[in-house]
Amino acid sequence: MDFYLGLAQIIGVHTLLGLSAYCVLLTGQVSLAQAGFFAIGAYVAGMLTVLAGWALVPALLVAALVSGLVACAVGFPALRVKGLMLVVATTAFGEAVRLFFFNFTYQVDAGNLKLGPHGAEGFRQIRYFPENGWSTLDVVIFIWTVVALVMAALWWLDRSRAGAVMRAVGEDELAAQSTGINITAVKVSAMTIGGLIAGIGGGIFAHYTTHIEHVQFGVALATFAIAYPILGGLSSVFGTLLAVIFIQGFLIEGLRFMGDWRNLLFGGLIVLAMNVRPRGLLDPRASALLRRLFAGRRQAPPLSRKEAPGA
Amino acid sequence: MLELQGLTKHFGGVRAVHDLQLQVRQGEVLGLIGPNGSGKSTTVNLICGLFPLTSGRVIFNGQDISDRPPHERVALGIARTFQNIRLFGQLTVWQNLWVAQNSAEQRRQNPAKRWLGGGGSTREQIGRVLEFFDLAHKCDELAGSLAFGEQRRLEFARAFASSPSMLLLDEPAAGMNAEEIDQLDARIRKLREDGMSILLIEHHVELVMSVADRVAVLNFGQKIADGPPADVQNDAGVRAAYLGTAATA
Repeated sequence: MDFYLGLAQIIGVHTLLGLSAYCVLLTGQVSLAQAGFFAIGAYVAGMLTVLAGWALVPALLVAALVSGLVACAVGFPALRVKGLMLVVATTAFGEAVRLFFFNFTYQVDAGNLKLGPHGAEGFRQIRYFPENGWSTLDVVIFIWTVVALVMAALWWLDRSRAGAVMRAVGEDELAAQSTGINITAVKVSAMTIGGLIAGIGGGIFAHYTTHIEHVQFGVALATFAIAYPILGGLSSVFGTLLAVIFIQGFLIEGLRFMGDWRNLLFGGLIVLAMNVRPRGLLDPRASALLRRLFAGRRQAPPLSRKEAPGA
Repeated sequence: MLELQGLTKHFGGVRAVHDLQLQVRQGEVLGLIGPNGSGKSTTVNLICGLFPLTSGRVIFNGQDISDRPPHERVALGIARTFQNIRLFGQLTVWQNLWVAQNSAEQRRQNPAKRWLGGGGSTREQIGRVLEFFDLAHKCDELAGSLAFGEQRRLEFARAFASSPSMLLLDEPAAGMNAEEIDQLDARIRKLREDGMSILLIEHHVELVMSVADRVAVLNFGQKIADGPPADVQNDAGVRAAYLGTAATA
């Protein structure tokens, strides 16, 4: 049972990470900086609960805010470049954040042990959950409540005009500009929202692992972050969730019995999945089908239905 | 209304547009014609601010907008269509018009309503645009799945959705059949009646001669004629530009 609870924690946190990249990807930007925002969230939230003695929820909110602000600041210069150049720029930022925490030491004496981030050794003893008597199940419920809230907010954003504008920018920047959309503002906003979500995810991650260090936030994590929405498809937030379950649940945990062959198969299956479903596991057709199944006659977008004269 | 003063754009050594003087008056349809590569589309791109001017000025309603970014020009009331259709293919017809609601007046709406809701006036406005462009029955379809003529219509509608006072139509009749061109002709006339100023770039000479109040002709980035359609049609220089002069023929 503990195994499944642990898996549920990983999937929850990685869903948040994937959603942060989803948001940025909607505007057509491939960002490898999400692991950096995730790291900032993890360290900030950890320091607030361990060193400042804050409760978890306010610590997570502040962590999200800090990551969001950094994302906003990074967004302005980074989004001036496009395509591969943006990938390079955001990768560089992610590595810079990682190396910052590699060198960052801020420890406080607490009786017989020192608490706080300690450079390459990392940040140990983030013991908020055990100290406050949370069981693993409590933690899982907490994580998935947050995931559900974030997904609901993004789902709603996606249905709004803001979502349509983000997708318009993602499809054709020139046309978007020419219809009066301020594309810089849209892209930076998406980056900021992505930063906020990654910050929350990182903050939760720090608390359930109790020990974070710089190596966890490298290029591999950044690649995972962007792989989830790409594999899952951009038609809705559920695609990302599905991709996280597929990768973390099936490819990483489910294939463990295969030993070292797993890594080979892992890559192969992703290639296969992308070939079979080039627009993502949950592509527009699949999501339209699901919507029809669940929503009955009321189809999205609900706004336009009533308006069409003669429809 | 719209005035181009010495508009110049050089791409390296290529003089795409050179020292162009052009005026579009309030409620006027100005036809802009010229052989391929004469700088018509570049002119539209410069008016929209898609790239910086080499020199010259763009004046709109008495205001110098030469340094304004594209989205601000839309807010001021200049909207355009593209020669090669550029719709948001993964968005529905409705959404294509929804995202285009960017006029100054629409921007003044309560931001929460503007970005997250879709206020009553927005719906009504889009409904009217859909009806005017005969797209109401396609409202929930993806723009990318429309037929060619419908896509052209939707692009025109999208430009119109930001309630502009000046429309730049870059070859709106390209690839359309005779019936569709007639409808386009009627729509342009209707818009002009309502006071819209239109810059119409078109290869389809019949359409231009039919709806334009005035026609300007570009050749090698420079204006070679400007006047009522009938005069321009008989202009010797224009004939030479299109057909070649006796010396080169």
